[in-house]
Amino acid sequence: MYAFAKRNVLMAARNVFFVFELAFWPTVGVLSIGLMTRFLDLGPEMTAFLLVGTMALSTVQVCQLDVSYALLFDVWSKSVKHQFLAPVEIRHMALGSWLVGIGRGLTVFGLQALLSWWAFDFDFFEPGVLALGAFLLGCFLTSAVVGLLVCALVLLFGTRAEVSAWATVNLVMVFCGIYYPVSILPEPVSTLAGAFPLTYVLDAFRSHYGFAPEFSHPLLMGFILSALYIGLAHWALAAAVTRCRRTGLLLKLSE
Amino acid sequence: MLAVEVRDLAKTFRSGWFPRRLTRALRGGNLSIPRGVIFGLLGPNGAGKTTLLSILATLLLPDAGEAKVLGHDVVREARAIRPRLNMASGNSSFIWSLRAPEILAFYGRLYGLHGKALARKVDELVALCELEEHRKVPYQELSTGLKQRLALAKSLVNDPELLFLDEPTLGLDPDISVRMRAQIAGLRRERGTTILLTTHYMREAEELCDEIAFIKNGEIPARGTADALKRQIRIGDVIALRLDPASGDGLAELPGVLRCVFQDGRVECTVDSAEKRLAQILSWLHEQGVVVRDVDVHEPDLEEVFVELAK
Repeated sequence: MYAFAKRNVLMAARNVFFVFELAFWPTVGVLSIGLMTRFLDLGPEMTAFLLVGTMALSTVQVCQLDVSYALLFDVWSKSVKHQFLAPVEIRHMALGSWLVGIGRGLTVFGLQALLSWWAFDFDFFEPGVLALGAFLLGCFLTSAVVGLLVCALVLLFGTRAEVSAWATVNLVMVFCGIYYPVSILPEPVSTLAGAFPLTYVLDAFRSHYGFAPEFSHPLLMGFILSALYIGLAHWALAAAVTRCRRTGLLLKLSE
Repeated sequence: MLAVEVRDLAKTFRSGWFPRRLTRALRGGNLSIPRGVIFGLLGPNGAGKTTLLSILATLLLPDAGEAKVLGHDVVREARAIRPRLNMASGNSSFIWSLRAPEILAFYGRLYGLHGKALARKVDELVALCELEEHRKVPYQELSTGLKQRLALAKSLVNDPELLFLDEPTLGLDPDISVRMRAQIAGLRRERGTTILLTTHYMREAEELCDEIAFIKNGEIPARGTADALKRQIRIGDVIALRLDPASGDGLAELPGVLRCVFQDGRVECTVDSAEKRLAQILSWLHEQGVVVRDVDVHEPDLEEVFVELAK
């Protein structure tokens, strides 16, 4: 587990695109949404609604990328076979990268929280440490699910599926109510939104800013669904590893 | 005890949807390799060498048959095997921006090393593979030879009992190849590592391997020592002649002469037995008024055996 964590840290420290992931895009995201709330003359509640969504999306994006990098670094460097030759399990790979993802996610969150407080008078710490901790944990659990699924897709479809590392999180944006309440979604999309754990986590956190919860026990539901999906995603990834050992894709990804 | 035992191993790759293409990479090959030897696997491109190696290394699942590595089944007991083997190939690649010690440390950790033991192992391998001067160079900036030395170093990170080397000297300069071969021979001599090696360089196989198996179309038609293979294939002896005038028309028609090749003013005749045919050839040339300036008789080398088997 430590091997993967250390490797992700080294890569983050050496490659310029990590600066963009960690600072540039989150800054652009929070500033553009914040300025939009000013332009539309939205009140503090609506500003909070949108900024909470923006920060959740950035945090999930950055953290899930780290989980995906556990495999993508090897795919890009054509060294996948060495990793799977070693006596490591998927949980080591995923957990080590996820821990680094949490670190990077917290950095992004901290940066965005600071920017929204400075530029838009938005206090992210208002709901209290516990609520904030639960919100961030919910984001990080969703990231683990997305990252594991991206790894499974890459092992099923090869390098063609790399794009899913950046595209999958957009599903979160559509279904989880990042910029709107899921109740405005048409059926059956609205019901489908209820299958995403982040929907509940956002619902719970926004309730601290004066929005009535759309679901009962949203945090509990969010965590139960996250646990269930992490189990399923782990199983899917294990199945994908077995399949690519059978098809030879594991070797092709190393050529 | 055997290091590798393979029975009726078969593997077919499927590609495309319509039409579905099938490539039979292994067709029920059998092989046993004792411990402590360097075993060579030779064969033309696409013969199934890398497929066999990958199955034995637990990177690929076979369709049929059985393969045991260090006494364990490669499918059912892969977890028990992985800590005890490792692999390096001529086209190995690692993460571009990491440095040699970081790459070795990463894989060392995957094999359970940590702390001082890991640092010692990294230093030992860096020294063994002569990478000291390149400790701070990112992988992408290393030369091909250094990359391959690093691949070899990585494959030793867990002190494997069984080491798979897939064309370890591919694309290397001759002087670096010689050093690499010396390192490989040293591994068996000093550590007792069993090595299964694939190569396209016959000289390498002849120099390093205790035994060789020839693989063709997913089958293993011949195996043995290099000398035994030469005898087994019975491709005859070679009589090389320098003639004046440089013409040997009619030589190929003589009894016992299998073929003649003219090159650079010399003629190389492959005969069923040099002992039987040399006098007969010299006598015939004398009758033709041809002066023999030089004669050399030798057994076919492994390359000729390879060419014969690959036909």
